[in-house]
Amino acid sequence: MSAPIRVAVVGTGSIAREHVAALASIPGVEVAYVCGSDLARAAAVASLAPGAEATTDLARVLADPSVLGVDVCNATPQHADSTISAGRAGKHVHVEKPAALTIADFDAMVAATEGSGTSLMVGQTVRFQPAVAALAERVHAGDIGTPRLAHVSWYTGYVWPGGWRGWQLDREKSGGHPVHNGTHSLDVAVWLMGRRPVRVFTRSFPSFAADMPVDDSFHMTVRFEDGSLATLEISYALAEPGDMFRRIMVAGTAGSIEHSTDSEPRLRAPGVRTAPASVEGAMRVQLAHWIELISGRAEPIVTTDQVRAALRTALAAQESLDTGRPVDIVWEDDK
Amino acid sequence: MISVGFLSAVRHADSYIDIFANDPRVRVVGVSEYADAAEWKLADSRRIAGRYGVPFLSPDELLADPDCDVIVVCSEPTRHAELAVLALQAGKHVLIDKPLAVTTAEADAIIEAERASRGTATVINRLHSPAIQRLRRWVDEGHFGLPRHIDIEWFASGAFFSTSVERPELVTDVALSGGGEILNFLLYPIDYLSHLTGLRVVEAYAEASTLFQSTHAEAGVEDTAVVSLLLEHGVTATITLGRVASAPGHGPVSSSVRLIGSRGFATADDDQPAVSIFGTDGAQRRSTIGGASSEAIVRSFLTAYIDRLELGAAPEYTVRQARETLRVVEACAEAARTGLPAILIHKRPEEG
Repeated sequence: MSAPIRVAVVGTGSIAREHVAALASIPGVEVAYVCGSDLARAAAVASLAPGAEATTDLARVLADPSVLGVDVCNATPQHADSTISAGRAGKHVHVEKPAALTIADFDAMVAATEGSGTSLMVGQTVRFQPAVAALAERVHAGDIGTPRLAHVSWYTGYVWPGGWRGWQLDREKSGGHPVHNGTHSLDVAVWLMGRRPVRVFTRSFPSFAADMPVDDSFHMTVRFEDGSLATLEISYALAEPGDMFRRIMVAGTAGSIEHSTDSEPRLRAPGVRTAPASVEGAMRVQLAHWIELISGRAEPIVTTDQVRAALRTALAAQESLDTGRPVDIVWEDDK
Repeated sequence: MISVGFLSAVRHADSYIDIFANDPRVRVVGVSEYADAAEWKLADSRRIAGRYGVPFLSPDELLADPDCDVIVVCSEPTRHAELAVLALQAGKHVLIDKPLAVTTAEADAIIEAERASRGTATVINRLHSPAIQRLRRWVDEGHFGLPRHIDIEWFASGAFFSTSVERPELVTDVALSGGGEILNFLLYPIDYLSHLTGLRVVEAYAEASTLFQSTHAEAGVEDTAVVSLLLEHGVTATITLGRVASAPGHGPVSSSVRLIGSRGFATADDDQPAVSIFGTDGAQRRSTIGGASSEAIVRSFLTAYIDRLELGAAPEYTVRQARETLRVVEACAEAARTGLPAILIHKRPEEG
């Protein structure tokens, strides 16, 4: 039996907990460290993985040659520093989405990892949801010809936790909602359409309270470089807490493809709400893919070029919200 | 008995005359077209007269016929306003094929003519969609609380376009159609929005593109648009519209709606509810309950139109409503052209 793959998780929030639990459930994987700024919180998260050591010393983690990869799950503004440090230490990096709050940071993260012989995978969990993976497989196989038009309606009944203290309401921390979660639907659109956006227009509304500092519901119109189009909606405004509706439609030159959570098996039981079957188990599949990737047994499903295109568009979408105007994305300006 | 005559009979005339011909309360008195009209218009109009065994008349004869109550204006869209005004001036009720007109200035001329006429005017629309009526009922009953966001997808299938009896140039030739699919189709979802919310659009943004149809590409008109709207009270809406290769529905057109309210959420689909049929050859078909929406909705509207005429009641869908919708359509077309959001300024509601 081959030696276990040893990884470290950086961060001790709710997403870090999910990552540690998912990594610990993958055969052949050992969570060696859980690293955070607060030792007690790190210990609580480490307790989810047998043998994981809690620490506040990232340098010590990065100096451990037995650690192959680092999974960065801390607050979004810290992603760049942690990723760059890990990459410079020769580690493969998995980073939670959104990868960064600026393109300059993202480019530095890529340079510190891919640019120095390791790898960077951004945790675009949605790609690993069974329904989205199946849609992409059919689209990429050519079942609908060339995809030309996408429509993603994604609604939940959700209020960011923490009341008015919720970090998602602070743009400095979350990047605003187009960056925080728009990167999910933009990533799906970029992946399915297979090309880059060139213009985005965004409009938003606050679901549950006037004067939210970050509107939690918004939509985008997206024009791609060949004139293809997309409508992408995200709303938290479903009245029923925990409710979820998602419909993805892609029209191509030889047909259309569609999936809706409305048309799938569903539990109806008092007081119980389960995730739709079409999104089940995505995080474990995503992290198992990362392990395959850093073990040299898989090609990347999520490329940094695609993530960069989605992030640039998300930043432009936030600018559109701020200005009330569509924002052009000029790729020729890039390095 | 309501007597109906057609002033030009191209495009959808066949389906409208068929519905009237099968309504025992309606007598079709004739089909007319101007002698100097293009040969294909005369031929199409004559063919329809022949098929239904009704006289082919000159427009002057038809408009002067005291027995004719209703004139159906079923020409190419760029002539709708001119013909509707003539019919109203002749004192007739006028039923205009959609779109009402190709500019709001033309729509205003129809409104003026209606004001001066003893006839009424209305426009073919899809507000009789059972799916839309159900949503509206739920809005009225308060189940949604306050609507906050509405998403509408409106598609026609290109697969039906080339084989359809409709002449493609009636959509793609701007001299006949006035524009591409924004002018041809966007009125339906905009109508749905105002019907469901009772709110006016205050800002429109749209991206348009030609993505699927070679006929549209050759003519230089769009076949697809994505639209972002701001309505009064901060309500938002999205519309995804296109004549795609093959729409995710069961018929020539398909439309679905998602309505998020402060207290509830619902979806509607003109193709639903439906039954599924599974053949031994592995083929699956779905059959919409109540019939294909494209036919059933128009049939319901025309039947109700005759109901109201018999009662002497004004049409339920007014030219003023259609004009407001056209104004939003124009704003979307302008935004698509300029790449900037178009602002709609509303004066205080006029009297009447």
